[in-house]
Amino acid sequence: MFDFVVRYFGWLKHLPLAAQVFDVMLKMRQMLAQPEMLDWIDELESEFLSWDGASTSIHRYGGLQFNTAGKELGHLHSNGLLDMCFSKKMKSELLVSGRVKDHHIFKKTGWISFYIRGVEDKAYALELLRMAYLRRML
Amino acid sequence: MNMKAFLKSPVLHGVLVANFSILAIIGLHKYLLGNSSKESILIFSEFVVLPILMGVIAAWFWRDLGLSGKRTVKYACFNSLFAILMSAIFLGEGMICLLIVSPLIFAFSITGTFMGQRMFKKKNQGLNVSIISMLFVVFVVDAVSEHDYQNMVGDEMLIRARPEQVWKHVVAFEKIKQKNDYWLFQIGMPSPMQTTVDGYCKGAGRKCIFSNGYIFDEKIVTYEQNKDLTFDIVAQPLDPEIMGHIDILRGQFLLKDNLDGTTTLIGNSWYKLHVFPVWYYDLWAESITRNVHLRVMDHIKMLSETN
Repeated sequence: MFDFVVRYFGWLKHLPLAAQVFDVMLKMRQMLAQPEMLDWIDELESEFLSWDGASTSIHRYGGLQFNTAGKELGHLHSNGLLDMCFSKKMKSELLVSGRVKDHHIFKKTGWISFYIRGVEDKAYALELLRMAYLRRML
Repeated sequence: MNMKAFLKSPVLHGVLVANFSILAIIGLHKYLLGNSSKESILIFSEFVVLPILMGVIAAWFWRDLGLSGKRTVKYACFNSLFAILMSAIFLGEGMICLLIVSPLIFAFSITGTFMGQRMFKKKNQGLNVSIISMLFVVFVVDAVSEHDYQNMVGDEMLIRARPEQVWKHVVAFEKIKQKNDYWLFQIGMPSPMQTTVDGYCKGAGRKCIFSNGYIFDEKIVTYEQNKDLTFDIVAQPLDPEIMGHIDILRGQFLLKDNLDGTTTLIGNSWYKLHVFPVWYYDLWAESITRNVHLRVMDHIKMLSETN
């Protein structure tokens, strides 16, 4: 569903608020289909905010954006899709692990996508956030 | 939570203040418009900007509660449901209208709540005032703008009968007895039932009778036997449901002889919307008009082919 909307209606993201409304619809869907996802998102945000210099905001294309020093590290859509930005070298190492995929849109960049589907994925998402955070801070 | 605690809780305060603030804005908007032709129009802002504002106001009351994502969704849904209930009580909207409007109310009020939650977390008063002011400006600009939208919906159907056999069922027809397939008709929206006519000529009166007894008075403006029946709607019922928000202006049946014993029947309707945004309500208007067409045209096809 998410991929279908992004592929065929992705252009709507340029309309003010359209992406945010779509993310709210994802939240509603998760609330019905997998309510614990909303808890995992809260837990990830709470853990991330405990790190020095970390902040969150609304992502311009919908979802929760993770920032350090005013720059985006990645963002989490409310269906559990985590998009993170790494160097191309780190990305290729991560891709070898088989847990992450090429970013669902930006294939030839350092962006990766990772779907949180279960509680063990939440732990890995936090690991990815930490890697991106440390890369930015060091 | 007991009743006393609930009455004192910021959750309820947020819902009540948010809803009554929005009702006050709508009331003020209607009052300022007075008896102008704009009074009956429901603008884009009433379904997009005000629900966002409602969510933001509620989020302000809930800002110190440390709400989880799940709880925010639940409270925001409750806030939206309350708004829909208020619309039924104070704005006199019918059940089907509320059903149609509810996706907009839910989507934008919950979005507003999450936006508000973020706004008040940042404690940036300048930014917050800018966002509220921007919403206000959009509302005012929208309120004073002209709103005029007309559209035409056309449908085609192949009938295995010659035009002269079809024509006699086009001008007037007996009661439709087939079961309604369209879900809005099944849950109570009036559907076309019967058409009567005063005379078979230009200028004659025609009545389209709906399932709940509502009558559309029509006047035939083009009468080309076996080819073209065009009629203007001269009076239509004002109903709290759909009818108050859309004017049907004109209807038309065109018959095309395929010269092989079959006829292509084309049904066209012209309407004017009184509710905005068009990108949302026109989807519904087209769907409803199309299903009115299909119900009548299916009936004409059945009568023509049986005879």
